[in-house]
Amino acid sequence: MDFTYTSEQEMLRDSLGKLFAQSCSFDQRQALLKNGHAHSEIVWAQLRDMGLLALPFSEIQGGLGGSASDLVAIGELLGRHLVIEPYLSSILLGGCALALGGSATSAALEAVMAGETLAALAHEERHGIGAPALLGTTLAQDGNALRLNGEKRLVLSGAEAGILVVSARMGDHLALVRVDPKAAGVAISGYTTMDGRRAANVRLSGVAVAIADILLHDAEAALDGVLQSAQLMLSAEAVGAMHALLEASATYAATRKQFGVPIGSFQSIAHRLADMKIACAKAQALLLYTTALVETGKGSGRDIALLKAQMGRLGRSVGESAVQIHGGIGMTDELAVGHYLKRILAVEAMLGSTDYHLRRVGAG
Amino acid sequence: MDIEFGPELEAFRREVAAFLDAAPTPEIREAGRKTTSVFAPFEAVMKWHKILHAQGWAAPAWPKQYGGTGWSAEQRFIFAEEYWKRDLPPLLPNGLQMVGPLLMEAGSEEQKAKYLPGILSGEDYWTQGYSEPGAGSDLAALSCSAVADGDDYVINGQKIWTTLAHHANRMFMLVRTSSEGKKQQGITFLLLDRTDFPGMEIRPIIGLDGIPEQCEVFFDNVRVPQSARVGAENDGWSVAKALLKHERGGSAGNPAMYRKLELIRAVASGTPSPHGGMLGDDPVFQRDLGELEAEIASYAAFEKLLLSGHPISADPSMPSINKVISSELAQKVSVMMTRVAGVDALPLQLEALTVGSNVAPLGGDLDLVAMPYYLNSRATTIYAGTNEVQRDLIARVLPVA
Repeated sequence: MDFTYTSEQEMLRDSLGKLFAQSCSFDQRQALLKNGHAHSEIVWAQLRDMGLLALPFSEIQGGLGGSASDLVAIGELLGRHLVIEPYLSSILLGGCALALGGSATSAALEAVMAGETLAALAHEERHGIGAPALLGTTLAQDGNALRLNGEKRLVLSGAEAGILVVSARMGDHLALVRVDPKAAGVAISGYTTMDGRRAANVRLSGVAVAIADILLHDAEAALDGVLQSAQLMLSAEAVGAMHALLEASATYAATRKQFGVPIGSFQSIAHRLADMKIACAKAQALLLYTTALVETGKGSGRDIALLKAQMGRLGRSVGESAVQIHGGIGMTDELAVGHYLKRILAVEAMLGSTDYHLRRVGAG
Repeated sequence: MDIEFGPELEAFRREVAAFLDAAPTPEIREAGRKTTSVFAPFEAVMKWHKILHAQGWAAPAWPKQYGGTGWSAEQRFIFAEEYWKRDLPPLLPNGLQMVGPLLMEAGSEEQKAKYLPGILSGEDYWTQGYSEPGAGSDLAALSCSAVADGDDYVINGQKIWTTLAHHANRMFMLVRTSSEGKKQQGITFLLLDRTDFPGMEIRPIIGLDGIPEQCEVFFDNVRVPQSARVGAENDGWSVAKALLKHERGGSAGNPAMYRKLELIRAVASGTPSPHGGMLGDDPVFQRDLGELEAEIASYAAFEKLLLSGHPISADPSMPSINKVISSELAQKVSVMMTRVAGVDALPLQLEALTVGSNVAPLGGDLDLVAMPYYLNSRATTIYAGTNEVQRDLIARVLPVA
């Protein structure tokens, strides 16, 4: 048994950590967002130059064939540094869904890996996705044309993407369809999420689809694979964020004085910090164990569901404790603590909520 | 990354499984099913101890030179997994996990030769005399005294939470031999060859579960030889702490939790829900069972990380974190058992719970054990250093930037 990163992964983490410390500090992040940027083009180009935008794709597709632990190794750092670059949206969701089209989409995928365009996966619906059979978006024959109808929510990078991949029910199957964001019938309303990301709601009203734009006719299993890798990445981000919160809170409690003593000397605060540390240990262990399961081909969707749910539960408790320990200053926008909490809340809500995944696990 | 134990260990697993399938008698299996505590039913578990000893497997964690198996941490983990799959009663921990390793660390050669064989074979059962009415979490405040008199010590005072003392033939204890200096400095560690010395009185305490598992022990001018001392006089605190070295790494508590989860799931699928249908199909139940499984899985992953020597195992607070997680998880599991049992957890069934009573339980096996296990498990967060004390320890080594 071995749950450690390889020396190559440690080296990558080392250089990535330096890049983030230098170019993705909290102040830099906040300045970008304040000036209306979705992310830093410079950092995005640096991630491309490090090969990270090509990491999850197979070598045949021009990628690096990265493993689950490669993704988790960088995911923890994305979470720890609150990185807003669209790695999850354009690479793991949009890009990996696009890659399912095989040779038909290889040119588009190359552009995504080169960082020239963003891809987005339009999958969430209503108040959050659950079982694929419940998707409301349809792809159906209408006279001579195939048409898409439906309404997608929380399409990450949806307004910035040059390529949309849409999940839709086609008869008894779940299909994945490539859609031009500028096509007739596509209405995109972009917004900023509370955790500083860009997303959009996308209305599809009779959008004409060519047969060649159907990436997969029977995509349920393949889409599940894409979602699982994104859920693993989100879980890694949550663990990175939790460790950052533990460190910030422990440091604050050791220095902040009230009643003449550091607040960490009060048992109520000390025990809350101990609980945060326990939660971090549990979260890190489950993340690494599940990663090893996936890496060795033994992981199932159920294992990922359990992980995602547990990260939501543990992450929320760590985030809420961090705000409480910081007191009034923890309530302000100027401190990173609240932004970590918000990232964790986003992780918890998207790609199947905690309750959804827990019930799946409990059902057997 | 790799989750496998390695192919050579699969043969070991088969060997363990074959033995554990064949060796336990019906009485021992019954004791396993009726175990509602860390401490299994006494007589049956001591018989099982002797069977395991004959196989050479009574002390998986002991070094070979003292009659242990010499197994690696991975082998011990596999043994625990196979053990718990079969609902077998766990061997009593006081000798094998507490005083035995302590003697290996701090005992004289004479003491090791005299006491370790009896601990290993299951001939002896040792009760632990640490806590007192006035010394629980603050153990160093203990006042039960031993005064040197010729070649003897004369003991006066009281011990409490001496588990199964009424079945014990030996006792290890901490006594006060000096009230000078810091309170930790006047403590001495003693081994008692008997539990029926003149002046010694053992009174069982009925617990919340209705079972006399704990005892109090009174000492009225009890005379024991000074050769019973481990280490130097007034150095008992460091002797007792030497045991901590044996508690690091290599816990394997999760297989027992997974086994109970399996039982809960199976019973729930055949238990009617008050909303109609089966409890196992009830959305609220499913959500909560999912949460329980997620917690067990987290603990299992945590144990495996420690076992594999992952860098987090070097964190000095890991033994405390382990204690908090495992004890609170045991309580959560016990709560879920009582939820599934519902009103069938309410009949008091002490006779049916007794091994060999031949009294059929009302309801099923889970109904019989759910409430006693729940009630007994309230102690998990109290004993071995309360979880409040553990959290104090965890908070001492936080990652401050």
